[in-house]
Amino acid sequence: MITLGIQGKNTFLSDVNKRSGANVLECYQCGKCVGTCPVSGYMDFPPREIMQMVKLGLKNETMMANSTWFCLTCSACSGRCPREIEIPSVMEAIRHMAIEENYINGSTKVKEIRKFHEIFLDMIKRYGRNYELRMMAEFNIRTRNLFKDMHLAPKALLKGKIPLGVKPMKSAKAIQRMYKLAEKLEKKHTGKEA
Amino acid sequence: MKKLTYFPGCSAHGTSEEFDKTVKMVMTSLDVQMEEIPDWNCCGATSAHTMSESLAYALPLRNLVLAEKLDNSTMAIPCASCYQRLKVTKVHMDDNPELCKEINSTVVEDGIYQGKVDVKSMLQYCFEDVGLDAIKAKVTKSLAGMKLACYYGCLLTRPKAITNFDSPEYPMSMDKIVEALGAKATEFDYKTECCGASFSISNTEVVINLTGQILEMAKESGADAIVVACPLCQSNLDMRQPDIEKHLGKKIDLPIFYFTQLMALAFGMPEKDLMFSKHIVPVEGALANIGKIVPEPEKVKKTRKAVEAESEAE
Ligand code: SF4
Ligand code: SF4
Repeated sequence: MITLGIQGKNTFLSDVNKRSGANVLECYQCGKCVGTCPVSGYMDFPPREIMQMVKLGLKNETMMANSTWFCLTCSACSGRCPREIEIPSVMEAIRHMAIEENYINGSTKVKEIRKFHEIFLDMIKRYGRNYELRMMAEFNIRTRNLFKDMHLAPKALLKGKIPLGVKPMKSAKAIQRMYKLAEKLEKKHTGKEA
Repeated sequence: MKKLTYFPGCSAHGTSEEFDKTVKMVMTSLDVQMEEIPDWNCCGATSAHTMSESLAYALPLRNLVLAEKLDNSTMAIPCASCYQRLKVTKVHMDDNPELCKEINSTVVEDGIYQGKVDVKSMLQYCFEDVGLDAIKAKVTKSLAGMKLACYYGCLLTRPKAITNFDSPEYPMSMDKIVEALGAKATEFDYKTECCGASFSISNTEVVINLTGQILEMAKESGADAIVVACPLCQSNLDMRQPDIEKHLGKKIDLPIFYFTQLMALAFGMPEKDLMFSKHIVPVEGALANIGKIVPEPEKVKKTRKAVEAESEAE
């Protein structure tokens, strides 16, 4: 159900503003961001609509949209926004809130994007650095798409473009400790701390 | 002799070995001594800031803390994505001591952040700290005859409040560097369009689309090669070019050089050391233009510079 928020009682708007450091109310719906955004065509709602939805307090619709997952943080939009709104920070704030509050967009594309980021972060946790070949292979295995990009592999490997083995950093332990502490911090912020 | 702290980033030991190697060659020749941050870690790239605010700051912060142990005032980073993560972290930590203290607690065993080291991209360092005159002075083999589209991507100059470098819409620093080497920089309107790098593996369709447009526009600008300052841009434009040609149904055939490879070439360093063999799109055609200066075709359209000059005069 779509429920219109009332300004003043719109806690979604104030949460997004607080978290992003932007003021979404400043948006006057000119649409310049949409014309600038290289991926607005892939989004359920382009950036201008996301702004309006936040203003209206449409929390569920905004948090479930694929838009924040498609945002590349390229800052093309914010550079041209006449109201100087940090649009990518707004996108990021909404995405972080959606992750924390378990709003899950179930489309294949969003699932794949999310999986990629999870594998990437997992790899850094283990080794402290990212190994591109392993990254590609793991992504393909975990999305059950074993042969994706395989046609690129022979040439890339032959040319030494993608190295086979790499050695992890020395203090990978420091990274594991950092992950644990960072997770605690996050829980503290979302009030989920035990 | 200048001293500089160096953060190579993960791809330096992988897909962008040739960038790492030529950066080192060029810096030695320009009398800059580089010191690598000991036991640096991955900056977290897009993934950390997509998924977690704390990790997005903590991973770069550890590198900033380690960099302060090296006693140089500046650090330079070849990868645009690493550069952005470290610079965003630096700016936010400097502006917000409370947040800084909190994030620092996750890496406190490595040290306490003091904000002593300036963070620059390698392109910015070459342009601002080394300077065009010093670069020009090293050129022994002019690249005259080459026509190059300089591609900056989205992260090297944006957002302006963070990078504080060049123009977010139409930067010229790399253009000026390649012109100092004797080449001609073409007027290339897609120089700051995003290539979709962070989707390279997870959302290839978007990348093919975005990168396809960039390659087409570079071709239209009359360039015979593209120059980049980021490993992610390079691998997207180079490695995926055959797929993109299939998608567009036409030949693009534009080799993708790192600006430091061209600097090294113009400085007279042996071609065999510049690792051109790692490129997927062959470079020979573009390199063969060196020395062949073609007369400029009559311009019908007014050049951007002329339009800018006019509007400034108004
Ligand atoms: S460009 Fe700025 S003001 Fe215009 S619609 Fe987008 S966010 Fe709103
Ligand atoms: S930052 Fe995100 S919303 Fe803005 S133009 Fe880039 S991809 Fe689109």
